[in-house]
Amino acid sequence: MANADVIAAIATAPGQAGVGVIRVSGPSLQDFASRIAGGGGAPRPRHARHSRFVDGQGEVIDEGLLIYFQGPASFTGEDVVELQGHGSDAALRLLLARCLELGARLAQPGEFTLRAFFNHKIDLAQAEAVADLIAAESTAAVRSALRSLTGQFSRQVHALVERLVELRLRIEGCIDFADEAVDFLEQTDIRATLTGLRDAVDRLTGSAAQGLLLRSGCRTVLIGAPNVGKSSLLNAITEEDHALVTDIPGTTRDLIRASVFIEGVPYHMVDTAGIRETADVIEQAGIERTWQAVEQADLALVVADIRNGLTEGDRQLLSRLPQDMPREVVYNKADLASADQRARAGTVVSAVSGEGIPELKRHLLQMAGWNPGTEPVFLARERHRAALSQARFHLETALEVADSFELLAEELRLAQNALSDITGEFSSDDLLGEIFSRFCIGK
Amino acid sequence: MQFPKKFDVIVVGGGHAGTEAALASARSGCETLLLTHSLETLGQMSCNPSIGGIGKGHLVKEIDAMGGVMALAADAAGIQFRILNSRKGPAVRATRAQADRVLYRQYIRHALENQPRLTLFQQPVDDLIVHAGQVRGVVTQMGLRFEAPSVVLTAGTFLSGLMHVGLEQNPGGRAGDPPAVALAHKLRELSLPAGRLKTGTPPRLDGRTIDYEKMGVQPGDEPVPVFSFIGNADQHPKQVPCWITHTTEKTHDIIRAGLDRSPLFTGVIEGVGPRYCPSIEDKIHRFSDKASHQIFLEPEGLSTHEIYPNGISTSLPFDVQWALVRSIPGLEQAHILRPGYAIEYDYYDPRALKASLETKAIGGLFFAGQINGTTGYEEAAAQGLLAGINAARHSHGLEAWWPKRDEAYLGVLVDDLVTRGVTEPYRMFTSRAEYRLQLREDNADLRLTEQGRKLGLVSDERWHAFENKREKVEMEIQRLRSTWLRAGQVSVPEALRVFGQPLERDHSLLELLRRPHTRYADLMSLSGTPPDESLAPDAADQVEVQVKYEGYIARQQEEVARHRDQEHLLIPDNMDYARVRGLSREVEQLLTRHRPQTVGQASRIAGVTPAAVALLLVHLRRSTAPILQEPRSA
Ligand SMILES: Cc1cc2nc3c(=O)[nH]c(=O)nc-3n(C[C@H](O)[C@H](O)[C@H](O)COP(=O)(O)OP(=O)(O)OC[C@H]3O[C@@H](n4cnc5c(N)ncnc54)[C@H](O)[C@@H]3O)c2cc1C
Ligand SMILES: Nc1nc2c(ncn2[C@@H]2O[C@H](COP(=O)(O)OP(=O)(O)O)[C@@H](O)[C@H]2O)c(=O)[nH]1
Ligand SMILES: [Mg+2]
Repeated sequence: MANADVIAAIATAPGQAGVGVIRVSGPSLQDFASRIAGGGGAPRPRHARHSRFVDGQGEVIDEGLLIYFQGPASFTGEDVVELQGHGSDAALRLLLARCLELGARLAQPGEFTLRAFFNHKIDLAQAEAVADLIAAESTAAVRSALRSLTGQFSRQVHALVERLVELRLRIEGCIDFADEAVDFLEQTDIRATLTGLRDAVDRLTGSAAQGLLLRSGCRTVLIGAPNVGKSSLLNAITEEDHALVTDIPGTTRDLIRASVFIEGVPYHMVDTAGIRETADVIEQAGIERTWQAVEQADLALVVADIRNGLTEGDRQLLSRLPQDMPREVVYNKADLASADQRARAGTVVSAVSGEGIPELKRHLLQMAGWNPGTEPVFLARERHRAALSQARFHLETALEVADSFELLAEELRLAQNALSDITGEFSSDDLLGEIFSRFCIGK
Repeated sequence: MQFPKKFDVIVVGGGHAGTEAALASARSGCETLLLTHSLETLGQMSCNPSIGGIGKGHLVKEIDAMGGVMALAADAAGIQFRILNSRKGPAVRATRAQADRVLYRQYIRHALENQPRLTLFQQPVDDLIVHAGQVRGVVTQMGLRFEAPSVVLTAGTFLSGLMHVGLEQNPGGRAGDPPAVALAHKLRELSLPAGRLKTGTPPRLDGRTIDYEKMGVQPGDEPVPVFSFIGNADQHPKQVPCWITHTTEKTHDIIRAGLDRSPLFTGVIEGVGPRYCPSIEDKIHRFSDKASHQIFLEPEGLSTHEIYPNGISTSLPFDVQWALVRSIPGLEQAHILRPGYAIEYDYYDPRALKASLETKAIGGLFFAGQINGTTGYEEAAAQGLLAGINAARHSHGLEAWWPKRDEAYLGVLVDDLVTRGVTEPYRMFTSRAEYRLQLREDNADLRLTEQGRKLGLVSDERWHAFENKREKVEMEIQRLRSTWLRAGQVSVPEALRVFGQPLERDHSLLELLRRPHTRYADLMSLSGTPPDESLAPDAADQVEVQVKYEGYIARQQEEVARHRDQEHLLIPDNMDYARVRGLSREVEQLLTRHRPQTVGQASRIAGVTPAAVALLLVHLRRSTAPILQEPRSA
């Protein structure tokens, strides 16, 4: 990028102990580096140098390491300077102010990544992964972001594309070189290959879904009659007091939201107004909002008082939930229940004693489809998942039309197009090139 | 001397590109001059005596749909016709004909000589007259000057042509014809980006010395296919078969022993040859594990014994050719009438052309055919047609016209050429067309004839035949939609015959025809289903294909529509890519070099990433109100 200006930003999260890092990027930073370190000549690329960072008057602001990366061999492809200071907020701010004094401007969020992208240091998928890395809120997400960054997801998609191309080149060979004495199919079982491809897409979709879950989390709504303990349950699950708990039915009139990580998966919980017939306008409005929250949720916890069991109202509630929404009836106030009442209930908890809460959390993970450790998890984007689902659709259709080569070829082309949204283009020239290198064409 | 008559369009070269260009230009109303080395070689097939094939047949039908001559000539000269891919689906089905060389040439020459507004003249062109970036005319070998505001150059393999047999070389445009050297030098002076390509041809055999008993026979199809939309099988001359034999291990040994004198393997030939049309020495070298290669023996005509052995194109020395031919079953006693050879020639990087085939550098100068890096008669003829149309339009100050990728193989061809360029001689394949399902041979007329009519290329006769067919097809589809077959109306055996299962409820005929295994002809064999007047076979086929493929075509149309915005977003001629924020230097240079006309073209240039396209779109949207290309008006 020609004539880009110098940008600077604090690269570490605020309030963290230990080291604080400021990152600076621009077309030429040698002078900048030597000035902020109070002289000492031009820095050596890729060497950490112990430095005293000084302000305009030569006063020392902080002490730490200066690392200079010479473009294009840097993260952004431009010159990059990293200043590692002691990390107190105040010191970092002073250091940043000094950078601005030296001609840098404050970077926009994601601007480093953007420059890296524009300078072809990373591709689109990687750029998105970096953005995710920055936004990653939980440790599991960080690990997954790292994996995606090193291209594991891309690698698996590429492997899939390779298998698809292998089939395509045989089919296209049969079509375009029908008058050649070449056996393009060579024992290829078209249906078996298609089934194998479809299953591979399914497996990848599974891991992508896990990644998506890590990234965007699971929206969970708590519903039920008033006073069964929804708000208390929210507090118990999140281990904080988000919701006002009283024994006056109808206390929660507005939605209360709180997020909690369960094994690294973010759950966005919504506590709602209890649902009952009421003349109170405010409470009515709350109930309406409850149904809106239900519509936006990924799964629902229907809370019941264990002593009353599942009431007629609860049954109605359950039937009003969107059909395919995962749901669970949670019987609360176990501490007050008789053995009999317990025996009749399913999932039993007590918001007060904490009984059943760990089990409920595990169950929440299951309901969201979290399935750790089976497959590598990618921090996939919604668009990745959409692309995979497109590809699957076309592979499935390909199975249906496999008798007609030109329709089969069309579905395969579209399946590959879908995957190209993740990996990048593949042209008909590339396909022909593969055919020519593999088969003896030409009379 | 200054030639007294002034022309609107001058076409240089009387090959397949040149003849279609001259005819299209004259038909669309321009005074046109066709200048060529020799009137005897008008419409000459330099290599194998066949027209069409997969992808190529599609081009022939498109040329025909727009009033071109190639399909008509093939019908008049075809001595064996086949439909390839007949069972793989209507979109990839393709017509191919063996042509009698002499009859083909005669037909073309007759068409040229009887075309109003077309003047023929035999003289090599040595020079172009260029003033202020505009072409003004040409100068021939004897110093004759011809003037016109548009010039179409279709010099084929002739520009600095160099022929190789073994390690011997001779200048030539093809065997028996002189090269165009002076013109090639002149063109190199114009500093258009040029390169060298190579192609080859097999030795020709005397049929009287061939033992056909040892070979397989390959007859033509019955009923005999027809190329032109306005042609019929009665126009075909007598039909003859082709023959099939193969190379042997002995053939391969002979070839291997001769590789040290191969111009290809000793590095004498520098031009790049086509990978899909390799010489026999190349095939044996690259696929050494193949014990045998198939050879088709194709008759060159009805009035000659000459045979074209398809599959042994070679530039090995003549003694090796002689021995290798005689190692092939049935050819033990074969006499070679003409040696095989390879030819290297100048071509011009087609990325220096607009989609109209006008050079970007010199106004009014159009290039068509093999000089654009393509190979094949059909590819050449298709470009000739397009260049002829646009040269004529240019001379009248009209906007250029060209079909898009979703409209015609011609659109795919020209877009591939001008946006991607070539790395080897370019041949059409159906896999190059992403909208293959809608670019069929059978609907080439429905796709293009109306446009051809608007451009002034389509005769009244063709137009009326076309309108009649189109109307019949539409009416029949309408009728199928509104005619119902009652469940009780069809006996179970009849239903099993036509549908493979009993008819459980009432259906419209259209619904029934949509079923994959139900054929139109079978459906019409049930009582109460046929129209009052039965449809002509081509109209019936059209009805069937349209109904069966409706869903797929609709989907492709959606895909086309999704890309249309980007596809047709024009990039200003004076675009400064340095000002597009975020573009890498490489992409900036690429785009500056290519100067694509639309964002769609830019997106197909190798090395232009989707991200770069996004940046380009952002820039264009910001800096100018988007100019969407007008729907073509002609
Ligand atoms: C040896 C050989 C092998 C080939 N092998 C194959 C093959 O295997 N498969 C395939 O598809 N195609 C093959 N071809 C290519 C095929 O012949 C061409 O693609 C096709 O003929 C190109 O058409 P054109 O109109 O561009 O040029 P041509 O058919 O070459 O016609 C050029 C015309 O221009 C005239 N001309 C040239 N320069 C001048 C001038 N300065 N002044 C006046 N007239 C001039 C020539 O006399 C000629 O009439 C081969 C060609 C050759 C020569
Ligand atoms: N003993 C006992 N009391 C509970 C439990 N959960 C909620 N409560 C009490 O039930 C009353 C209603 O609780 P709240 O969370 O406000 O119910 P909500 O209306 O469903 O949100 C409060 O007085 C809570 O203290 C529980 O598990 N055990
Ligand atoms: Mg509450």
